Amino acid sequence: MVRTLSPLITLLIIGGICWVSLGGQESPADLTYANPQGIHTLDPARMSWTSDFRVALNLWEGLTTWNPEDLTPTPGVANLPPAVSQDGLTYTFTLRPDARWSNGDPVTSADFVRGWRRGMEPGTGMDYTFFLTDHIVGAASYASWRREAVSRLVPMSRLAREWEIDTNQRRLLEDTFGTEERDWPRTHQDALQRHASLIDERFNRVGIAAPNAHTLVVRLVAPCPYLLDLLAMPIFLPIHESIERLRSRTNDLPITEQGLVTYDPQWTKPDYHAHGYGGLVTNGAYRLAGWHFKRRLRLTANPYFHSAASVQCQTVDMVVHENVSASIMAYERGAIDFLPSMSVPYDHEIAKLAQTGARPDFVLTNVLATYFLNFNCVSETVGGVPNPFLDRRVRKAFALAIDKAQIVQRVLGRGDRTAGSFVPPGVIPGYEPPPGLGHDANAARALLAEAGYPNGEGLPMIDLLYTPNDSRIVQALAHMWGVTLGATFNLRGKESRTLADDKINRRFMIARGNWYADYNDPTTFLNCLLTGNGNNDSGYANDAYDTILAAANAPRDTAKRAALLRRAETIIVEDDLPILPILFYREPIALSPRVHGLFPNARMWFPFRYVTVTP
Amino acid sequence: MTRMLVRRLLAGLLTIACIYAITFTMVVSIPGNPFQQGQHRLSSDVESALLARYHMDNNWLYFWEFLRGAVRLDFGPTFTYADWTCNQIIAASLPISMSIGLAAMLIALMVGVPIGVTSAVRRHSWLDISATTLILTGISLPTFVTGSALLIAVGVKLQLAPVGGWGTLSHLPLPAITLSLPFMAYIVRLTRAGMIDALSADFVRTAIAKGASRQRVIWRHALPVALLPVLSFLGPATAQAVTGSFVVEKVFGIPGMGQHFVNAALNRDPGLLLGAVLVFSTLLVAFNIVVDLLYAALDPRISEAL
Amino acid sequence: MNRLRFTRSRQKAPVIVGGLLLFGLLAVSLGTLEHAIQWHNVQTLTGAIRHEPSLEPVVPLTAFVSGDVGHASTVTKLAHRATSWFGHDDLGRSLFYRVWPGLLVSLAIGLAAAFIAAVVGTTWGATAAIFGGRVDRAMMRVVDVLYGLPYILMVILLKIALTEPLAKLFGGRTVGADLAILLVAIGGVSWLTMARVVRGQVLALKQQPYVEAARATGASTYYLLRHHLLPNLVGPVLTYATLVIPQAILQESFLSFLGIGVQAPTPSLGRLAADGIEAVNTFVGFWWLIVFPCLVLVIALVSLNFIGDALRDAFDPKSNQAALLS
Repeated sequence: MVRTLSPLITLLIIGGICWVSLGGQESPADLTYANPQGIHTLDPARMSWTSDFRVALNLWEGLTTWNPEDLTPTPGVANLPPAVSQDGLTYTFTLRPDARWSNGDPVTSADFVRGWRRGMEPGTGMDYTFFLTDHIVGAASYASWRREAVSRLVPMSRLAREWEIDTNQRRLLEDTFGTEERDWPRTHQDALQRHASLIDERFNRVGIAAPNAHTLVVRLVAPCPYLLDLLAMPIFLPIHESIERLRSRTNDLPITEQGLVTYDPQWTKPDYHAHGYGGLVTNGAYRLAGWHFKRRLRLTANPYFHSAASVQCQTVDMVVHENVSASIMAYERGAIDFLPSMSVPYDHEIAKLAQTGARPDFVLTNVLATYFLNFNCVSETVGGVPNPFLDRRVRKAFALAIDKAQIVQRVLGRGDRTAGSFVPPGVIPGYEPPPGLGHDANAARALLAEAGYPNGEGLPMIDLLYTPNDSRIVQALAHMWGVTLGATFNLRGKESRTLADDKINRRFMIARGNWYADYNDPTTFLNCLLTGNGNNDSGYANDAYDTILAAANAPRDTAKRAALLRRAETIIVEDDLPILPILFYREPIALSPRVHGLFPNARMWFPFRYVTVTP
Repeated sequence: MTRMLVRRLLAGLLTIACIYAITFTMVVSIPGNPFQQGQHRLSSDVESALLARYHMDNNWLYFWEFLRGAVRLDFGPTFTYADWTCNQIIAASLPISMSIGLAAMLIALMVGVPIGVTSAVRRHSWLDISATTLILTGISLPTFVTGSALLIAVGVKLQLAPVGGWGTLSHLPLPAITLSLPFMAYIVRLTRAGMIDALSADFVRTAIAKGASRQRVIWRHALPVALLPVLSFLGPATAQAVTGSFVVEKVFGIPGMGQHFVNAALNRDPGLLLGAVLVFSTLLVAFNIVVDLLYAALDPRISEAL
Repeated sequence: MNRLRFTRSRQKAPVIVGGLLLFGLLAVSLGTLEHAIQWHNVQTLTGAIRHEPSLEPVVPLTAFVSGDVGHASTVTKLAHRATSWFGHDDLGRSLFYRVWPGLLVSLAIGLAAAFIAAVVGTTWGATAAIFGGRVDRAMMRVVDVLYGLPYILMVILLKIALTEPLAKLFGGRTVGADLAILLVAIGGVSWLTMARVVRGQVLALKQQPYVEAARATGASTYYLLRHHLLPNLVGPVLTYATLVIPQAILQESFLSFLGIGVQAPTPSLGRLAADGIEAVNTFVGFWWLIVFPCLVLVIALVSLNFIGDALRDAFDPKSNQAALLS
């Protein structure tokens, strides 16, 4: 009995689990594209990946958006141009009256205030908070006031629960309350209440105002010539008021016991209905129809979108293919229409097919991004060994010694452009970066000798950090430096998080780096090398450089500003070399010939609302 | 019997607790920042606010808070995929891994046991040697090679299966076969060894002497005893198979459990990592107990001893 | 009880074939080592990425021989021809001179992991069995717990966690440090089975009449260990150590697939296979990048498994089997 039944039962169990895991088969979308990673988050305040931006900017629409062909700012919810005050500090935006949320509600300026406020709150904003705090009057002081309050409320909330707190936190509390014992639950509750009552008033001092439903007034700290470009970024998107239903509360106060403004992270789900929430509401050309973790994400056209009539492509699927090779194979079989990323170890073959015209559906796109190496400019020693790169002559010698053309054409063969400068040339209107250093082996050897290392004698073994993706390029570079300068290397492949940690703590001599432009202005690159900037992994500090960049903020004359920026960049790429630019990325994408209206561009920004798909 | 079960359960709980403590210690001691996502270095202000929010600024507190959630089967938030809870992610990926894992174990058993028996019965015949060689070749190749080879051959050249992804039944066979190979090899070895032992045992000789047919002796008398070692292998093996394999999932692009053991470690996502580990070790303990019970049911000598 | 018993010639066949194959591979590796050390990382063909295998060398003889070309010996000329036999990789390096040292690196990793497993496992298992009682239970509980940890996760975490401390220990700046980390990560988890096997073996031995007799006559623990236990442990330990080698080599290949295996430019078979599989595509078949490393890998691992299996069969199969499984 048992013997005959047990296989049957086993089969039934397996069948049942399969059925659960497979889920219903959906009808294919008009357009299907593949993403190598899952979406990390759809919360505009938190996101920092291009692939997340792509989905968010199809779901929502900011004040401005980018023209997919030339990337110039075009009207989004706001009419352009906005009214700008004489001093260039106050922008008054008028919202288009027919802007609607995906549930039919009108989009108002209050929705923008809500979205921007989330962007600067300590519990919700993340990587791009600085876009708000750097530019908007009062935003920085509001954010730091909030963070300070939170840092005091956290230990109080823990004491209120009779949890341990560490000595730093104890000291912080003693500064406020002295050392005597207190009734902590009560103290915490009082402090929370007091803080909650002040928040709105404090926020009113920030330079964002909504005098009426269709007007948004923004006051800036300093003139910002690229503001309209910036405003298309996800951190500046509006958020529908229904999110407030999911706001965390403590005893009727709209903040958590730690003083944070947080929301149930499920709010980005289309089918989440706790506390009467109606599911994600967005104001872009599409709305979110379904989201299976790391499998599939479906967008359908938003019927309330102001230009809904012009949207041809009704459904878009993003499928996750962690194995990029497999996604290329799926594309070849016609299961996928569009591959925004084809970075595989054989991408030079794809580039060849694209360049020879054998595959017109493979397109090479110049991206606004630079691949470079960081030199450690601050540490006296690295791992107990003197760091030769403190001497800029050594850095310059290393820069002159490599033949970037060789790397780009022969080692990588993808058709990237060699980089002399940090900022890619020919993409940012009105700015032409300096040419930078070329390849000059003799000059390199002379400089190295001048620095006290003739023929590389006396140079320690150099720690070179890279990630698995850089393996080829790094080995080729080490080879070139070995041949030209007599340098020896300790190549240390690291997975990316350890690499980031090592770079922040300066446990490297040379490390790989790359930077993707956040906005269409040289400062998105050049600011990274300001003294004390969080992204300044080289630890570069030069007063002259800082001063020129600061000066470049002031003039409203674009030509004068460009000249100043170019002077700053010249210091970087021709004199000091805190970083060694190697190449500007050129990425292949695959676009099925039946898809029209997708324009490969430097920011990999693909609005699907202009797409038509021929069957 | 009941006493044994209770004892095993308690020992299992202790094991799980130790596994949790060890994994936790390792997770908090590795360098790297869970909130570091894209290219921007997170400012230390923002970071400390986030750490405090999840009690991660105080390891001891975090240890207990996570444990408190875990016993209520709530593994809390993940940082890599901020819009999902660990529970949702595990609920989405575990059934997928289970389908593939169970199918793989089924294949491994259905192919491995007959081969093992035949090898044992015709010991040192060319059949035995070639079967062993084939099996050994199968496990001497890294899974990423065998998986990719299958994907290219069946998915691309023959176009008999989709190239990766998950959603229909046609997505199941290739990863299941790939995953089954190492288990199959082990099962063949165990069956062969067990069968050789069983065939030389007294009760088999008695059965032969009584005039039972050759087939009947092999499949009815010897096999159940020979399979006991396979059974005890199945416990940990099934636990491993149903929690997914990173390589198989990576090659075939399957959103299963196995990826979390690698990705959550590389992303420094402590919640997801600990959640996945706890699911794995609970399954392991559970399967081992089930196997012990089955063992007792099948082998009278053991059930007496208990 | 641990005498090797090979009864029939066919039973010996796998061992002999395995041994010969392994010997052959080792001979080629060591024979080409001198040139491989020099050539495994030379990127000569910068113009020709991933050159196909051919019998005629692509590298000019002048580049291969530093001195006078006319006086190059026959061996040197053969070594020169060999550069292109397995093709060239993505940096134009001779795959031939990467595969063979790769085999040595892989075997070294395997052997070192086996050594760690043997030493730690034997010590742990034997200690537990000799002391018995609570000590035994506690020590075996530790093994149980470590078994319950997801293997791959532990290797990764160990690799990440140990990188800094070990690098400091080694002065921070050697290839040795990276290899050591890899070994600790792989070896640190492969001693568990060994500990169980050894414990089972010692427990069985303790009950043997001659051991009990020796104990009854008042022999010291040291004497028992030295004259009765250790000699009888050599067989099974050797057997399982042989089986750890292929496992460790595969684990290294997995870490290479993840990009955290042996550091470039040092080759290992796993690294080469992982690099090869990533280059597989539907446009251009870079078959040699995957075929040659995998061929060598399969031959080496099958041989090792043959030898290990035969050793295990030859020692009493029954006594070890249960321990292996649990």
